Formats: sequence, C-alpha cells, structure tokens
Amino acid sequence: MNKKVLSIAGALCLAFTCSTLAAASNLDAFLDKCGACHKSGAEAAPVNPADKAGVVWVKYFKRGRHPGDLNATINADEMANIVEFLKNHAADSDHPVAAVIPK
Amino acid sequence: MKKTLVGLSVMLAMAGSAYAGSETVTIPAADYKAIMERLDALQNRVETLEAKPQAAAPAVADAKYDKVSKDIDTIYDSIDALETKSIKNKINFGAELRVRYDGYTAKDFNTVNMAAFQQNMMNGMMPNQAMGMAMSHHDKVNDDNNWTNRFRINMEAQITDSLQFHGRLAMYKNWGDSDDATSSDMLNDFNRSHRPGTSSLWVDRAYVDWVPQGSPIPIALTVGRHPSTEGPPFELRENRMRQSTYPALLFDGENDGVVVTFGLDRYTGLKDAGWRFAYGKAYHSDDDNNTGHPFPFFDDGEAGDATMAATFFETQIPGLNNSLAVLSYARVWDLPFYFTGPKLYETGMPNTDLGDLDIWGVHLQANDIASTGLDFFFSYGGNRSKANGNAPLGLFGLLSSDGQSNHSGYSFYTGLRYTLPVTPLNMPKVGFEYNKGSEYWFSMTMATPDLFNKLATRGNVYDVYYIQPVNKHLFFRAGYLHVDYDYTGSGQHMGAPMPSDATLDNYYFLMDVRF
Repeated sequence: MNKKVLSIAGALCLAFTCSTLAAASNLDAFLDKCGACHKSGAEAAPVNPADKAGVVWVKYFKRGRHPGDLNATINADEMANIVEFLKNHAADSDHPVAAVIPK
Repeated sequence: MKKTLVGLSVMLAMAGSAYAGSETVTIPAADYKAIMERLDALQNRVETLEAKPQAAAPAVADAKYDKVSKDIDTIYDSIDALETKSIKNKINFGAELRVRYDGYTAKDFNTVNMAAFQQNMMNGMMPNQAMGMAMSHHDKVNDDNNWTNRFRINMEAQITDSLQFHGRLAMYKNWGDSDDATSSDMLNDFNRSHRPGTSSLWVDRAYVDWVPQGSPIPIALTVGRHPSTEGPPFELRENRMRQSTYPALLFDGENDGVVVTFGLDRYTGLKDAGWRFAYGKAYHSDDDNNTGHPFPFFDDGEAGDATMAATFFETQIPGLNNSLAVLSYARVWDLPFYFTGPKLYETGMPNTDLGDLDIWGVHLQANDIASTGLDFFFSYGGNRSKANGNAPLGLFGLLSSDGQSNHSGYSFYTGLRYTLPVTPLNMPKVGFEYNKGSEYWFSMTMATPDLFNKLATRGNVYDVYYIQPVNKHLFFRAGYLHVDYDYTGSGQHMGAPMPSDATLDNYYFLMDVRF
C-alpha cells in the first residue's frame, strides 16, 4: 500500500515538475531567443504575440517567413516552445479585461 | 550585326577595287571572290537567324512573367477586397454559452409574505408586529432541479491606435422561466423569440478606452457601461483571465460611469501600475411613470440618485510575475431604500434614500506562483455606514432599524487554485475558497456569477470546485458551496441584521463554451 501511494506521489511530483518546466521553458525560450534581437533599440523591433492569431504564427514559421536563418540559433525544441508561447498569447487567445492602464 | 557586316563588305569592296584611304590595296580576284562569298554566307546566316522566331525563348519567359503578373494582380485584388472587408468589419465578435445545473438545500431560514405584511400594516399593526406575523420559518427546503442558460455576445474594436471599444450583450435565464412581469398567454418563455414582445436588449458592457496621444503623463479615459463584474479573483473559478477593473469582494455590478486612469509605470518602476478615479451611479429613477409630468425624464425626486466615487491603485506585486495588488476606496451617496424604482413592488411603499456608505479594501493575488501551477489570493474589505435618519416603517434604516446609528463591517476572502499536472486530462484545476463577513458587512456586489451573493454573506462560506478543460474553448466545472449565515440580511443594506442559524448548500455542474 505504502509503495503504491509512494509511486503515485512520485508520478505526480514528476508530472508536476515536468509541467512546471514546460510552462517556464516556453516563456524562457521566447525571452531568451526572440528577445535577443526583438527589443527596443536592438536590431529588430519588439514582437507582440497578439499581433497575429495563433494559427497564423504557426504558418508564419512553417513557411519560413522569418527573415534570416533561425536554424543557426534556435533548435527545434526551442522553436516549438516559442511557437507554443506565441499561440498562448496570440490575438485570438483569452486576454484580461479591465479599464486600460496607459504606459 | 547586319550593319557591321555590310560596312565591312563595303570597306573590303573598296579595298579590292581601288584603294583604302590614300593607299591602294590589290588582292587576287579569287581571294576577293572568296571573301565576298564568305560575306554573302554570313549575310545569309544573319538574315536566317533574324528571320527565325528568336522570340521563342523570350516568349516563354514573357508568358510566365505575364502569368505571375496576373497572379499578383489577382492577389492584390483579393487583398483589396479583404482589406476593405476588414475595415468595414468594425467589430470583432465572440460568444459564450454556459449551461448550469444547480441543486440547493436551505435550512433554518425565514421568509416574509410581503402581501400579508402590507395587509397587517393596513390592519393597524405596528411594523415589527406586522413583519413578525407575516414571517414563516422553514426547517429545511430542497430545490434540486434548477437549470440555467447564459449566453453572451462579446464585442471589441480597435477604432484607432488610441481608441478601443468593448461590449457585451447577454441573456441569462432559468430554463422555461415565464414568471416575469412581461409574460402573458401570448408571450412566455416558450415563444418569446417568436412573438412580438419588447425592444429590450440587455447590454452587460459597452465602453471605450481612450488613451490620448501626446499627453505628457500617461492618462486613459474609460467611459460607458464598464467592465465591473466578476473581477479578481473570480477569473480563477471561471477558468479565464481577469474580467473586471475592481476586486470582486468590493464591487461586482453592471455600472455606468467614467474612469480616469493614470499610468504610473514610468514614475514608480512598478509594472502595470495605475491610479484610477471613478465616478458612476448605482441608482437613478426618472419620472417616466408620471403621465402628468411635462418632463418625465427628470429625476422623480423620491430617493434621488445613488452616486459613487472611488479611487483605486493597482500594480503587479514587485518580484512576482502574474500578480496583482489593488488598494481601493469608494463612497456611495444616498443609497435608496430599494433598487427597484419609485414604489416597492409588493407594498407600494415610496422609495427614499437612507444614507451614505464608505467601502475600502486591499486585494492581493498571485497566479502560477513560480510556475508551479498554484494560484493564491487574499482580499479584505471594510465598510462604514452613515445613516441619514430615514427609516421606512421604522424598520429599514441604513444597516439599522431606526436609521439613527452608523455601523462598520468587514469581510475577508481567500483561496487557492492548483492546476493538476496531468496532461492526458488537459491540466484540470481544483480550487478552494473561503470568505467570512461580519454582522454589518455590505458592499456593492449584486452581480456575482452565482445566483446567491456569496461574497455578501454575513457568516462563513466554503467553496470547492473542480475544472475539467476539454480544449481551449470548452470546460466543465463541478462544485459545492456551503454557506453558514451568522446574521440575516446578507447583501442588503436596509434594516438591522439579526442573528441567524440559516445554512445554504449548493452543488452544481456546468458546461462552458467560449469562442
């Protein structure tokens, strides 16, 4: 019984750790890889995930529309994380609603 | 090339026959003839080549070019049509549909037969006696087959870079609900959309955010019917993003008003920091039911307007991503006896204002703390009444019977939600919430998503739920709430709270679709 409970707890902990890392890696990949060039004053303008719908982001990279060769700096896993992040924050994603705060 | 050859032959002919310049060249006739034949051959070859359809190869290229050119024109035409359509499509629409089942069990509570109360008053009883005689006690009542539909059409438009519109039309009803004042034999829930009725269309929200460009300080103006319902932290149990400017514990109502927001990021270094000033109305009754008034759109002069002014400071908590801190203060002037118009429906008692109310609070919330999937919130609210001495029937002063005394109340609301890391189940969520309100607790939370106002409870509320997402558009939620009332009058600002042993249990299941 104890072994079973420990196994379930272990599996949950593992899944918990994996999901946590996955969520973090999407943001990290976006910030580290995209943010290296896409920021104020850098070689590319800041990118807003809400500029395109989620499916449009997928097509954008599938069609190789990004200028320059990304393969040299971003591997497949990182690209998958970036696209996942962009989809989760895309124009057609759920977004907060409140009176606007100007910047 | 032809010209070159002709020129060369002329020169050679001249050379062969007589002289070249000042010098004369003599060549043998056979050589001359051979040269001329060679020239003729070249000439013929040139003419043959020129006669051939040399454009054959370029013709293929031209055809391809023409096709690409036409394709581009076609694409441009399509883009023009799409752009025109896009510009004409001024509003983006979304929709929500929720179907919910509820079961209730209430114990140890009283109801008042208002018609009997009125009759008792007409018979000369004192208000306290009339109320007592019209009151019934219930040990236990079950109501376990309630179904509701809620449908919303959400709208948004980016009018210009600095101007945004948001709106929401809504329908929310019990299944088969036909007991409202507009129902008749000809018009009821079974045919309401198929028979002439009223021009009513419920507008939940309709407001614009305007951020004037070029302002030396970041300022925004939000006007209209505001995003003022289901605020933080209700989005956790609603499985969505933030839905209101105001914390749910203090203000949850459909509100018309103006909000001025100053952006403070650049001055404070805080993220998403803003200071808001809000003005709105909680109640207004014009005189349109008075046929003798030449200006029936004037205020009816009974309870007057209930006006609200408030200020809020909010920011992301430093060092904590996906977090929110809100400090709030609001004042409501001239709260009416009731919010339903000049005459109380059952009794015909005239309306009047009862006094003012101050509300304040602090809300702290952190979502997905350290990317663990854990969300946590804590909200505190306080209130203080300023009764003006009015007390209809000697029973219904502001948070008192006589309208002579002022009272303070408080409530706190806390809870957490955890996203279970079970990918095969689409990351389901479990949540627990608890709130406790004191004897005189009252805030402006009349539009909560549940049919009873749990955050207005003068007592304790335990709320547990499970959210099962299916995809990004569909989820199910099952939950159970237990309300343990310590005092009567939860959610009501008139009359004195009385000790209560009432309880309410609510178990529910809902399906929610958003797209």
